[in-house]
Amino acid sequence: MTVADWATAVLLPLGALFALIGTFGLVRFPTLLGRLHAATKPDTVGLVLLLLGAAFQLPDVGSAVPLALVGLFQFLTVPVLAQTIGRVAYSRGESDRAHLVTDELRQALRESRDDGE
Amino acid sequence: MNVLEHVYTATFAMLGAGVLFTLVRLVRGPSVLDRIICLNALSVLVVSSIAVEVAVRGDTAYIGLMVTIALLGFVGTLTAARFAERRAHDRG
Amino acid sequence: MTAADESGAVRPVEAPADERSWLQRLLGRLPTVVWLTVMWVILWGDPSPGTILAGLLVASLGYSAARLPHLPVRLGFHPIAVLRLASRIGYDLFASSVRVAFHVLWRPERTRGAIVAVPMRTDSDFLLALVSGGLSLVTGSLVIELNRDQGVIYVHGIPVASPEAVEGLRRQVRRTEELIVRAFGNAEDIAEFERAEREYATTTRKETS
Repeated sequence: MTVADWATAVLLPLGALFALIGTFGLVRFPTLLGRLHAATKPDTVGLVLLLLGAAFQLPDVGSAVPLALVGLFQFLTVPVLAQTIGRVAYSRGESDRAHLVTDELRQALRESRDDGE
Repeated sequence: MNVLEHVYTATFAMLGAGVLFTLVRLVRGPSVLDRIICLNALSVLVVSSIAVEVAVRGDTAYIGLMVTIALLGFVGTLTAARFAERRAHDRG
Repeated sequence: MTAADESGAVRPVEAPADERSWLQRLLGRLPTVVWLTVMWVILWGDPSPGTILAGLLVASLGYSAARLPHLPVRLGFHPIAVLRLASRIGYDLFASSVRVAFHVLWRPERTRGAIVAVPMRTDSDFLLALVSGGLSLVTGSLVIELNRDQGVIYVHGIPVASPEAVEGLRRQVRRTEELIVRAFGNAEDIAEFERAEREYATTTRKETS
């Protein structure tokens, strides 16, 4: 076992653990927005750790560059997806108000409606 | 190398369990947005599994596949979410 | 909201007259073409002259066929601040993933969230996009809505169980904004940010006294 092998042996299960916890949260969280948090973000951390672990098994640094590209792509797309689904969930009234401590967007919407009338 | 083989097996097992959890939520729903989130999570899990396969083989032949699946997952999820929004507008 | 009033609200956008020379227009588009070519070469996995030439050709053709709008973005770039921002976001991503993991395993049905309104101190479109992207990337915060007219973003946070945690979420949003403005804002953006920050400080002092 070389140092690179040890790095892979640590990083791969750690990344898979993050992915596993994220999907477990997808099953366990009671609210849609909670599930959205659990499904998108720990998956990203997990994928980055897995990519890093895989990079240590490649023969040279140059062939690891495309893996970095996959990670970068994931970093760029996750915020777009999370924001779009979050906005759609809110506008469909699926924000599960019973599980919110405060909802200042609702207050702001109500105030702007009162001003309009 | 024996340790690494066990590591690969364990990693694949964990990712497989993740796929199972995602399928549970995919079937249970209840919202269409839940199912959209699940489909995206599945595509990320597939890309993760291919990353492990890259480590097993030690070459980058599958990189194109990873990029393609990630791209399709992103575009598909975004389109589905937009569609869900439009349907909500039509109904209200 | 119906489709009719949505379409009624749309104002015709007049394209600004482009008085720049063709050379300037070409130079403005060069970074995108170079970036696309670099991606092409990376995916091809072989930086030979033929690949680079083919990449340049495909990038220019694709770019002209897509007719993407040219956005004049004037960015600053402060290496130390960028490093601080990257380490902060990396730390937030990791720490909050662990925190959410804890809540997944321990009583997820009791986990509460909150949606807070945070007034933004910068007015640059590009910086606001970066702020909301950075916040949505981190586990436990998610931008639901961005009110462009008033410059307010609405962030959903999890897990948030108490009024103190709500204030903590607000502080985290404001800190991320400050780091991003200081990392990528140009001199004008930073000056505007500091002006807004001073105004905010004086109004809160008046309110408390």
